[in-house]
Amino acid sequence: MNLIREIWQSIVRRDPLSTDKGKSELVFLNVWLHIHPAKVKKENLRFKHTFYLGFITFFLFLILLTTGIALMCYYRPFPPQAYQDMKDLQFVVFMGPFLRNMHRWAAHGMVVCVFLHMCRVFYTGSYKKPRQFNWVVGVLLLLLTLGLSFTGYLLPWDQLAYWAITVGTNIGSYAPLIGGQLRELLLGGHSVGEAALLRFYVLHVAVLPSLIILMTIVHFWRVRKDGGLSRPVWKLTPEKAEKLVTIGAPAEAVALSVATASKDKTYGLMEVVTGKPIFETITPEEEADTVFSYPYAFVREAVVLMATVTTIMTMSLFLNAPLEELANPAKTPNPAKAPWYFLGLQELVSHSALLGGVVAPALMVLALIAIPYFDRNPSRRPCDRKWIIWLFTFFVVVNLVLIVVGTFFRGPGWALVPPWVHVVSGAE
Amino acid sequence: MNRRAFLSWGTVGLAALCSAVAVSLGAVCRFLVPSVFYEPPQSFKIGNPADFPFGPPAFLADEKIFVFRDRDKGFAVASAVCTHLGCTVAHFQSDQRFHCPCHGSEFGADGSVLHGPAPRPLNWFEVTLARDGQLRVDKDKTVPSSYRLVV
Repeated sequence: MNLIREIWQSIVRRDPLSTDKGKSELVFLNVWLHIHPAKVKKENLRFKHTFYLGFITFFLFLILLTTGIALMCYYRPFPPQAYQDMKDLQFVVFMGPFLRNMHRWAAHGMVVCVFLHMCRVFYTGSYKKPRQFNWVVGVLLLLLTLGLSFTGYLLPWDQLAYWAITVGTNIGSYAPLIGGQLRELLLGGHSVGEAALLRFYVLHVAVLPSLIILMTIVHFWRVRKDGGLSRPVWKLTPEKAEKLVTIGAPAEAVALSVATASKDKTYGLMEVVTGKPIFETITPEEEADTVFSYPYAFVREAVVLMATVTTIMTMSLFLNAPLEELANPAKTPNPAKAPWYFLGLQELVSHSALLGGVVAPALMVLALIAIPYFDRNPSRRPCDRKWIIWLFTFFVVVNLVLIVVGTFFRGPGWALVPPWVHVVSGAE
Repeated sequence: MNRRAFLSWGTVGLAALCSAVAVSLGAVCRFLVPSVFYEPPQSFKIGNPADFPFGPPAFLADEKIFVFRDRDKGFAVASAVCTHLGCTVAHFQSDQRFHCPCHGSEFGADGSVLHGPAPRPLNWFEVTLARDGQLRVDKDKTVPSSYRLVV
């Protein structure tokens, strides 16, 4: 019995729960509890303040990770077999269609939720000091999400996949200076073939997931370090808002107690701490507005997790992921359309590959990254931020309009065709 | 170790570390460039001249080329790869133009851009007569659209 107890303790690393020490260690030594603050502000838990979009995105990512690993068991990344494996997943593998549907709808959901999450963070002004860098991490996560979506829909090696690789890597080749080499590096050759599929597979199942997991960890860690979720600004009195945006402990707060340095010891720079903490702190008078993370935040997170999984599962029961014909290098489908989230980009490249495919997206990304450094106005109140809100709304609307035009208003030969006109594509 | 020695050795060490990292990164990049390409050759035979009819061009799907044969002027080979983003263009007999389905580029009979986002005219490839009498196309050699092989 002693041995069993010892083994159990070696795993959980805490004293029995009958002791106070064990109870507190249950909290300290649990990573999920550890990444939460002990107490959270009540209004931050309200659904209407964040819509839980960050959590939904994270849970969708977990669904993608698990279903993706399951799908890997039946997928071979070589041109003819890859497509046969998709057919097997559709018709032969037990629960194959369901898992593939889940992977697809979770992926589409993640693109939507990442974007909405970004909008929420922007409109609440939550990218402002000290959260500027976490906004940048968020932009990188958006790009990684799009990268995973792109590499993902190439893998079935159907017509959509083949022509997406062709067009995608050709857009890359318009990049100044490195364009040609970039395309060859992605394709592993000069034309789209076996080597290209293998490389995109490696990107999709190894390189990009590792990067996105790493960046997610940084993102979460910075949420904590930057002071947790930003408080809805209308909850604050004006002078309180001032204090929160100027961050750090209130000016009149007692400085951190400092132990006197010993003359006998050499101190490394990292050991020296001066000044006030650089994150938002909960002052005693705010204490009344807070609740313990466990169980109040945890229950809500569990509910969101279950709601996310249930929604994706229900969608996967009724909506099947499409699969086009086997890739045919000789015949480009007409019109050849990317998935909806890339149709804005496709609309841009249909005007100019260099300007629309390289320059405009690069400028958009740079502009997004620059927002927190360019917008130095410390106020988070919408009435003080009219210009930047108009600018960002313009960016969102332009993207949505491009996607809508690309999705509904483009017919064969990328001609402008309203959705209510039915085009019978003539066989020429 | 005095200050001067520390700084000079430190500089040497830092330089060595940086170059080691640079060389390793270069090696990784080079590793990603294949030394052997298992791809179809750029120069290939497409058959005997007599195999190709007069009139509408023959489309060779695997090679992505159009083979034109004119009664007086002879053979010419046009690329079927759109110069915009690499989709395969179709040749319409009705208007004697090439149409790209992806972004709506249109090319005239000589491959010149008439419409759409394509930045360059379609490529024309050199076509020669091989020793065994077959036509040989070399995709590495582009020629003006006026180029013809008279057989």
